[in-house]
Amino acid sequence: MKSNTWVIIPAHNESHYLKRVLTKVLKYWQQVIVVDDGSVDATVRIAKQFPIHLLEHSINLGKGAALKTGCEYAFSKLKASSVVFFDADDQHDSKYLGQMFDALENSPVVFGVRAFSNEMPLARIILNRIASIIVLFTFGQYIPDIPSGFKGLSKVAYKRINWKSSDYLVEMEIATRVAQHKLHFSVVNIPTIYHDLDRGMTVLDILHMLYQMMLWRINK
Amino acid sequence: MSVFQLLSVLFGLFMLYVVRIHYRKKTLTLSESSFWSSTWFLFVIISIFPSLVQGISNLLSFARIFDLVVVIAFMILTTISFFNYLQNKSLESKIERYIRQKALTKAKKSS
Repeated sequence: MKSNTWVIIPAHNESHYLKRVLTKVLKYWQQVIVVDDGSVDATVRIAKQFPIHLLEHSINLGKGAALKTGCEYAFSKLKASSVVFFDADDQHDSKYLGQMFDALENSPVVFGVRAFSNEMPLARIILNRIASIIVLFTFGQYIPDIPSGFKGLSKVAYKRINWKSSDYLVEMEIATRVAQHKLHFSVVNIPTIYHDLDRGMTVLDILHMLYQMMLWRINK
Repeated sequence: MSVFQLLSVLFGLFMLYVVRIHYRKKTLTLSESSFWSSTWFLFVIISIFPSLVQGISNLLSFARIFDLVVVIAFMILTTISFFNYLQNKSLESKIERYIRQKALTKAKKSS
């Protein structure tokens, strides 16, 4: 395990999966930060049972804000050189953490890209591809599987990207900022672990996303 | 006086009452309260005597005074909405910074 490389897990009401996720992650990586984003269930109690660094938002701010808090802690207080984001809802395989951190040695940004299987609904796959195509046409770079929460950033990339989204749009903003600043990135292919608790996006979310993308395009 | 004028006057008087309540609750300062009271007082006066703005209406080539009032109302509403949006964004950002600072200060390693 490389020194000063941390896994950041944002968690909001994830008591159902968190124990399983932390057990799996700690098998492969011991430097873990959990950011509880104002959970009202047993998320904090479960997190405290594991040897991890725990940060608590007293109210729910959103995934983007939770990731930012984790990054601020990792880069400023723990003097981390790079971090990998890992969703708390058991959608990723922790054995790929090593590959993600290896890739971060050569690229400032690493995207964990899922191989779409029959488990994922077709509409979700199409929306996923459309997001990548929109980024390609708007910012000139094709970034695969933008909604994937499994991605890694170096400290330099974190400072350059400097996302403002406090909610679920953070994944989209990170991708657009990477394309906008022409940051070099690598891709690590990961398997799809899809389950019915996956919340997905509504039509209103998509409209909100398109509006935000227009603003990001104007406001560099 | 038409029904529409009567409703406008009653609405204006109600808003004057709302301003008064918020001044007494100290939600609005004296200057804010004066500004909003004057605005709603003017609204009541124009509702009773619409011919007072006939000159402006003619100058801006509005066919009816009502059209002028609607356009002004839209402008005021848009301005207020925009300032509310800015203030909301600023508050969101302040809350986020505060919550993050608190989380970073109280961060701990579980055993």
